[in-house]
Amino acid sequence: MPPFFQRLGALAYKELLHMLRDQQVIYLALGMPLVMLLLFGYAVSFDVDELPIAVLDHDGSAAARRLVRGLEASDAFVVRHQVREAAAIEALMRRGTIRAGVVIPAGFARQVARGAEARYQLLLDGADGTTARIALGYAFGATAAAAGDAGRGVLPLLEPRVRALFNPALRSALFIVPGLAAVIIGILAVLMSTITVAREWERGSMEQLFATPVDRLAVVLGKLLPYVAIGLLQLLLVLTAGAWLFAVPLRGSLATLLAAAVLFLAGVLGQGLLISMVTRNQQVATQLGAISGVLPNLLLSGFIFPPDNMPLPLRVLSRAVPARYMVAVMRGVLLQGQRLPQLWPQFLGLALVAAAFLTISTLAFRRSLD
Amino acid sequence: MRNELHAVVVKELRQTFRDRRMLMLLIVAPVLQLTLLGYAVNMDVEQVETVVTDDDGSPASRALLRGMLADPTLLLRGASRDPAAALTEGQASVALVVPRGFAARLAHGRPVQVQVLVDGTDPVRAQAAVDATTRFLQRSGQELRAAQLRAAAGAAVTGQALLAPPASVARISAEPRLLYNPRLRSATYMVPGVAATVLLVITSVITAMSIARERELGTIEQLMVTPIRPSTLLLGKILPFGAIGLVVAGVVLAVGVNLFDVPVRGSPLLLLVGTALYLLNTLGTGVFISTMARTQQQAILGSFFFIMPAILLSGFMSPIANMPGWAQLLTAFNPVRYFVELLRACLLKGAGFVELAQPLAALAALGTAMLTLASLRFRKRVS
Repeated sequence: MPPFFQRLGALAYKELLHMLRDQQVIYLALGMPLVMLLLFGYAVSFDVDELPIAVLDHDGSAAARRLVRGLEASDAFVVRHQVREAAAIEALMRRGTIRAGVVIPAGFARQVARGAEARYQLLLDGADGTTARIALGYAFGATAAAAGDAGRGVLPLLEPRVRALFNPALRSALFIVPGLAAVIIGILAVLMSTITVAREWERGSMEQLFATPVDRLAVVLGKLLPYVAIGLLQLLLVLTAGAWLFAVPLRGSLATLLAAAVLFLAGVLGQGLLISMVTRNQQVATQLGAISGVLPNLLLSGFIFPPDNMPLPLRVLSRAVPARYMVAVMRGVLLQGQRLPQLWPQFLGLALVAAAFLTISTLAFRRSLD
Repeated sequence: MRNELHAVVVKELRQTFRDRRMLMLLIVAPVLQLTLLGYAVNMDVEQVETVVTDDDGSPASRALLRGMLADPTLLLRGASRDPAAALTEGQASVALVVPRGFAARLAHGRPVQVQVLVDGTDPVRAQAAVDATTRFLQRSGQELRAAQLRAAAGAAVTGQALLAPPASVARISAEPRLLYNPRLRSATYMVPGVAATVLLVITSVITAMSIARERELGTIEQLMVTPIRPSTLLLGKILPFGAIGLVVAGVVLAVGVNLFDVPVRGSPLLLLVGTALYLLNTLGTGVFISTMARTQQQAILGSFFFIMPAILLSGFMSPIANMPGWAQLLTAFNPVRYFVELLRACLLKGAGFVELAQPLAALAALGTAMLTLASLRFRKRVS
């Protein structure tokens, strides 16, 4: 075995011993992804049920009541208050008791009877835009359904036949779990690796390392290897739990997924290592790691917000976030059954980002005592 | 006691800012984050990539597809012979399929099915695309039917179909109006959430790390042999970080207002009180985590064990109302949830103290509880 690999092996073993000595960290690292999976697989959902609304009916007609019943029948809305003036709707909304208001104008029934366009006003709470946006979609659907009823059994000529591939029931869990796995593993990898080198600087053990004939690259890789192992373990745990609890399928190949995961871990760990090398101070390193790890991973990765919707500078920036590619690979392999021919841009992105972080880390690791 | 407290505060500030980069991080980083992420979070579903398969190839089918694609939700990527494959390979997220014989069936007044295939991977995008297409199909289907009925009625006059019943098609439309955020700009309602998150990450991590550091380096024992009481030590640790938190909050708010036009419709005093109460929670969390950690690495991982669920269960990214009962129960103990509610209501809706009594009370109660629990544990660990 060439001396490089011998030294690499020795360093990786030393790092592994460091890690295993602190069992609390291992428990946290393996337990956290599972807890998150449980919480978010069950709790995060982008459906809206039974949104509390208030109704202001200026018409008081049967048609108006039918419309309100139609809105309630969609299960998206529940009428909590009948009010007499528009100001009451706003007051309720400011207090957060209702999320939407329906205002039916006088003469509504007459318009319906004449077959003219009968309009009603739908007031939505734009302060919670996520909910407002979903509610808007439901309201349009419910209105169309109510109009269909009012048309006294007129058959629609054009029937949409909708089929959702990969996730027929449009379950949020199938969307959340693969993305969450990538995001959580990424955040934890950044956090765990930000400290390693900074700690050695603070304790002075870095100087001891300098006294050995070890290559820079071997130091960097030696630090990473045990964390790559932890990362892969986390991934397998999450995949198993996801399949078991949320019936997340594995339609592509596990080997593709693991290959992508190694590149991904090299990227995120490289990011943490770079922070650690540059700061040489555990406190600064963790702050920087927390700041550059959490929100970019959550928000720029496409886990919830699609990068395609972002303005150009952010789309460019999101290309430096390894989780962005990993989220796409996870969904592609697990749900869509994609293989390497479709996934190569993601693999290329992962490889480039990892190479960049590792090269800069190695260069930043100057064996000098200033 | 005053002197001792003063000494601890000064020590803490010096220690934190001995590394000048820390100052930079604490002020510049939140601004950068807010700027970046304020632009990043965009739930608008627009320009979903769409392929079409026109098996009919008639003027009617082309007109139908044109009409469906006129909706800004969809973006035409081209025609495809194998729509399912286009979705599997990730070329598009929606495929519209018009069947053969479409024009002929329509001409005979028989209903036609138009197939809409969507990639269900992202349910929000999928639902938006489905809504857009069904909305169009329902509307134009009704219009076509109405036109036919009119034609039939016209024919009745000429004596051809005397028995055709007079029919009507109701046309009801919702006129949505979005209060507080008329153009439904994502930044406007996301900035409060991002602000709460940034504040949580910074203040709880810095507090947890600062105490864990003393333990890791063994300096906590040196502090214990001084006449400083544990409560003074704790207060001395919390005060400077609380002050830093308030400064960060001010900076974040200024950026939100100036860059993203987030309105300040409520009272600044309410914001200050709310933020101070929120900081009780985040600092208390920091102290609590530090009492369970022996090293800084444990402290940072422990912090995230609290922070991640707190962020995701805050209603900042996904609605609380639809979480299962147990999760909603958890959100009742989540200070981030109340702070996001308070920020949104105060900034955007102009709600006052009376309307926000509940979140304020919740923040105060949770903050006091957390801080008491944390300081009890802290005192036990120190003495």
